[in-house]
Formats: sequence, structure tokens, C-alpha cells
Amino acid sequence: MKRRTLIQWIAALPAVLPFARLRVFAQPRELTPEAVAFLHEIAPTVLPASIAAAQLRTAVEKFVVWTRGYREGVALAHGYGHPRLQKSGASPVPVYLAQLSSLEADARARGGRWSALDPEARRALLDAAFVKAGVRNLPPRPLGQHVVADLMAHFFRSSEANDLCYHAAINREVCRPIQITTRRPAPMS
Amino acid sequence: MAVHETDVCIIGGGITSAMLALKLSELRPSLRLTVVEAGRSILDVQNRGRYRERALEYGEHPWPEDYIEDQQAAGIISMTMAVGGLALHWGGACNRFSEEDLRLKSMYGLATDWPIEWRELERYYCEAERRLHVSGEPSPHPEDARTQPYPQGPIPLSYNLQLLKAWAEQSGLKFQSLPMARNLTPFDGRGGCCVYDTCGEVCPSGARYSPDFTFRQLTQPKKIVLHDRTLVRRLVLDDRRATIVSATGVHQDRPDETIEYRAKKFIVASGYCWSSHLLLLSANARFPNGLANSSGLVGRYMNGHRFINASANIDDQTYPGQNMTHSLISREYFRCRADRPFVRHDTRVWESSSGRNPRLRTPDGKLLLGDELMADWRSRTKGSSVRLRAYVDVHPSADSRLTLDASKKNRHGNPMPKIEHHFDEPTLARQAATKEHVLGVFGALAKAGNGRVVNTSDGDYLDHPGGGCRMGADPATSVCDSFGRTHDHENLFVVGAPTTPTGGCTNGTLTFVALTLRSADEIARA
Repeated sequence: MKRRTLIQWIAALPAVLPFARLRVFAQPRELTPEAVAFLHEIAPTVLPASIAAAQLRTAVEKFVVWTRGYREGVALAHGYGHPRLQKSGASPVPVYLAQLSSLEADARARGGRWSALDPEARRALLDAAFVKAGVRNLPPRPLGQHVVADLMAHFFRSSEANDLCYHAAINREVCRPIQITTRRPAPMS
Repeated sequence: MAVHETDVCIIGGGITSAMLALKLSELRPSLRLTVVEAGRSILDVQNRGRYRERALEYGEHPWPEDYIEDQQAAGIISMTMAVGGLALHWGGACNRFSEEDLRLKSMYGLATDWPIEWRELERYYCEAERRLHVSGEPSPHPEDARTQPYPQGPIPLSYNLQLLKAWAEQSGLKFQSLPMARNLTPFDGRGGCCVYDTCGEVCPSGARYSPDFTFRQLTQPKKIVLHDRTLVRRLVLDDRRATIVSATGVHQDRPDETIEYRAKKFIVASGYCWSSHLLLLSANARFPNGLANSSGLVGRYMNGHRFINASANIDDQTYPGQNMTHSLISREYFRCRADRPFVRHDTRVWESSSGRNPRLRTPDGKLLLGDELMADWRSRTKGSSVRLRAYVDVHPSADSRLTLDASKKNRHGNPMPKIEHHFDEPTLARQAATKEHVLGVFGALAKAGNGRVVNTSDGDYLDHPGGGCRMGADPATSVCDSFGRTHDHENLFVVGAPTTPTGGCTNGTLTFVALTLRSADEIARA
């Protein structure tokens, strides 16, 4: 191979190699330890602080597990009546990381760590972040629009939160003997 | 070309196919039965729990790859095409129609009568309930008398439904536990109900009947041959006689190789959409409008029922999430006096959390976080929300059609179906009065319990669709006889939903199965 041909061949590589795909593979698939730590810091603001600290920690850990379990390109529920084929999109993790970085930077700009801000400052930051991400309502489940809204959805849409709200052991969608459902749910201790 | 010889070739692998194959294998064990289904088999019951978890957590479809992307129709209600069909993810409701459905013409001068006596159909309802292991209780209405008890007692009413029953019956209507094909205890290789409460998506225990269990029972001891992922594209007519000699199709992995199924009898068990579609696709020089279509009615009188929804708020305190897939039903308005304006519908009641879910913002836009959000949610849980729905009896016109859409073709070049529902003149004329009546019933229910209806909506499709190959005694006005035998071809049957002349006013699956079990007797005899 002539030297010029070799140079031309190397120069053409970007056009033929699947760099777009490589870029996708290069995207982080997991929240970084720093991001998880920041989520733990945010959790008492957005989840009920009245639940035990261990429960708060568990809620964040479950959400992190959710992000790890996300699969791309999988058929979503088709629906009934007017069915439509939709597939799951790209992992939300890269967006989540950017949103957490942004929140952290906003907090610093207001004078310090997230937990050091007063509640109204935190609310204002989240309000702006949700508006920017197009989050209007609590998502029915994490949808990848905003990491904090998704953390909230993951908790507040759970059977555990339903029980907490009603102060009753309803155990929605939890496998249990059908006879239990014939009785008024026991109050939560 | 691969050739497969059999005695009976059943095209389609849904609930009617399963019931037909099961019964034929019992009545005529020596018959060679072949079921050909376009979709794939999803028989991994052991993975259902995981599929359910992913559906709840990620919104994933709980029946992986249960569709064929280019084999879809405009106007269908589900994309599912797999062994088990739509009944893989049905709710399990097993309501019977009533005698009025079979006598609309003679009792009310509307639509048409079915060519079956109620007493005979009732026997097959009993058989369908036995085979699906339906859990239910007798209706409080004497007109709904049964000749056999349900195979299981009713699904126990949750605490919520007990409250709602007491509330709803203050209106004077009588309600009962919805009959469902749901095991209360393990039965027939399926588990007992443990209230996963995702009946309409996937049931991990198998308590809610789905046809994949029947196909497993039939294929493992080789009582039938099941060819999945094989699309039948055409029925082929004998050169001289009006009988079908073969069905030709292709396997998904070998699209260039035609498979020929030769059989003595062909049963089209492909549901409300694909049955008519196959007959129309099979047009030839002698039947240029499609097989079984000398009446011109294949693909016509497509039916189903309309529905009207409402939410009501009441004072009684319920706890949403106890058993949201179970419900109450009133059959009060299955009957209509002949001297009154015609209106027929069922009335259903569910527990609900509508309007009582957590929210992110107050009505004035304030962002709610943490304890505030929980407090706001809690403040809105006093009393209860109730979900109400009525399936309304509407009748199709001849223009309610399935046609071949030349602009949409599958990978093989076959035009895909297009379904457009249209009502007959009397149905259109009474629509406003029907809606007023149903909303009046909802209003009376709410009011009797110190409640109020807070919103209403109309369904924008017809549920439990059927038709397209309607049965009748007259070959000029129907496609097949009461057994589903086509008038034009003595060895070609259509079973289940497509044969129904009208769509009733309650869930149709049990009726589709009962009709199919009756067809099975005739197919075994013939």
C-alpha cells in the first residue's frame, strides 16, 4: 500500500466507522457514586422526611436499582382500544447525571450545598428544573424527563407510599391471600 | 413446498382455537388436529412474575414479541398476535349475554335474531364456564336462571367492593360479584388467585385463565400439532367442488417456502379481524369477492358495544388497591320492555383512586415536595372515588365493514385489513336517549349514596368486537349457519366472535367460547 493511500484510508475511517454507535456505548449506564450521594442529599426534600431515615435511604437505593435495570429498545405496553407500538428510549442516566450536576451547580451558586439551602430556595431550584424539563405532573412511573421527578414518582406511586398515605396495610399489587382483601386493611403501626 | 396432512386444520391460536382443539381432542381422539398460528408461542409461565415486575416498573409489554409489526390492521383493539391471542391479557370477565341478544328482531323489531335457541346456548355457557373454571354467583334476576351452578363460588368481595355494593344497591339496582375465569384455588395446572391485581396484563400465578395453558396441555402429549410463527395467507378451493382442499402459508423464518396444509376440514378461528381478512384474501375466479362470500357479507356487520364511563365521589371510605381488577355488575338493564324506548346495557362498579392520586402541584401551581405532597395527597383521600361503566347494546349496519386496504401491505404483499364501524339507523336515532338514560342511572346510583358524578366520558371504540362472518339460517343474509359452517363451503367453518350478528351489552369472550364449543360438537359429528 502506498503511503498516500494509507493516509487517505485513515482519513476516511471516521466516515465508515460507527462512531455514533460508539458514542452511545460511551454514554454512562449507571449513576456515579457522586450522583447517588447527591440524590441521597436531595431525598429528604422531595420524599416524606417524616418516614424513617432508613426508609429514605432505601427509597433512593431502589431508584438507583431501577436505573440499572433500564433496558433500551424494548416494546412498551401496546395499549388496548387504540394500540400503538412504542419502544423504550435511550437510558435516562446521561440526562439524569447532567440534571444532577446542574442542580448541584445551581445550589453552589446560591451559596453552598443543597442541604444548606433554605426550603424555599430548594423548591425554587426544583421548580425551575422541572419547568425546563417539561415536567408538569407527577409521572405515573419514571419516564426520564427529570431525575428528581422520577425519584419522586418511583416512591409516591409505590404500594408502600399508598399504604403510608392511607395509614393502612393495603398492599396494592402484592401477592397475598384473597381472603385478606375482604377485611378492612389493618392500620399501619 | 412443504406439505402437511391433517384431518382438521384450525387457523388461529386464540381462546376459541384452544377450546375447539381441546374439545375435538376429547370427542375424537383419533383425529389429527393441527393449529396454525401466525404469532409465536410464549409458554414460559415461569417468567411471568418477572415480566409483570418489568411491566409495572418500566411500562414494558408483559408478553415479549407478541406482535408482528407488519401484520396489523386499522381499527383493531390489540396488536397481540401470538399463541393464546388476546386472551393472554384479557381481564377474565365471564358474563353471559341474555335471551334478548338472540331475539332482537322478534322482541323489538331491531337488527336480527340469532339462529340459536337460548336454552341451547345456555347449555354451552355452562360448558364454557366449566372449562374456563369460572368463579361466580347466581344472578338475582330470575330471567338469568342457570341449569348448572358455577364451577366455583364467587370471587370474594373485597372490603371496598362490599362498601360499594351496599352503596350502589341503595339505588334499587341489584349487583353481584363479576363472574371471572379466575381460580380461587389451584386447578388444572394453574395457581390460585393471590391478588397480583394485574389480570388484564399478565397473571403470574396463572389463576386467571389464558389459552397458553390449554395449548401446553395439548401439545406436550401431542394431542395436537401446533405450528406457530406460520401465517396462513390463503385458503385454496377444489378445482371442481366448492370445498377447501388446502391452506397455504409461510413460516416467519422461511418466507420463500410455501407450506401447504391439506385437511378434511378447515376451521377459521382467527378472531373478529383476521377471519374475514383471510376469506377476502382467498378470492379466486369462482369466488371473486372472497371465499364464503356469495352473500357479499364477509367483512360486514362488524359489531361490538359502545361504552360510557363515569367517576363518582361518595362519602364511604375505601382503600384503593385492594382488588382493583374485580368489580360488581348489575344486569338490571339487560332487559327492556317492548313498550318502552329500547335501551340495554350492563352496569359495572369498581373501586378507584381517580382524583385521589399523588400530585406534583396544587391547583394554583405551587410545587409540592416531600411531606407537603404526602399531606396534600392524604387530604384528598377522604371518602371514595368510584368507577362506573356501561356497555351499551348498539347494532351494526351492513356498512360496518372490514375491507382490504391496498395502501397497507405486509411483507408478503397482502393488503392489510381496515375496520370501520357504523351503526344502523335505529341505533343512531336512539343514541342521545341511550346516553341520557345511562347517565341517569349513574346519577341515581351516586345520589342514593350521598354521592355525585364528577366526570363522564364516551368510549371511542367498540369493545369486544365481533362480526364479519355473521351466522344465520338464510344464505342470502348470512355467511355461516349457527355452527359456523359456511353456507358456500361444506368443510369450511368460522368460529367464535366473527359469527356473532350483534355484539351484546356485556363482555363477549364467554359467548365466543360457548358458540365455539357448540361448533365443536358439529365439527366432530360431521
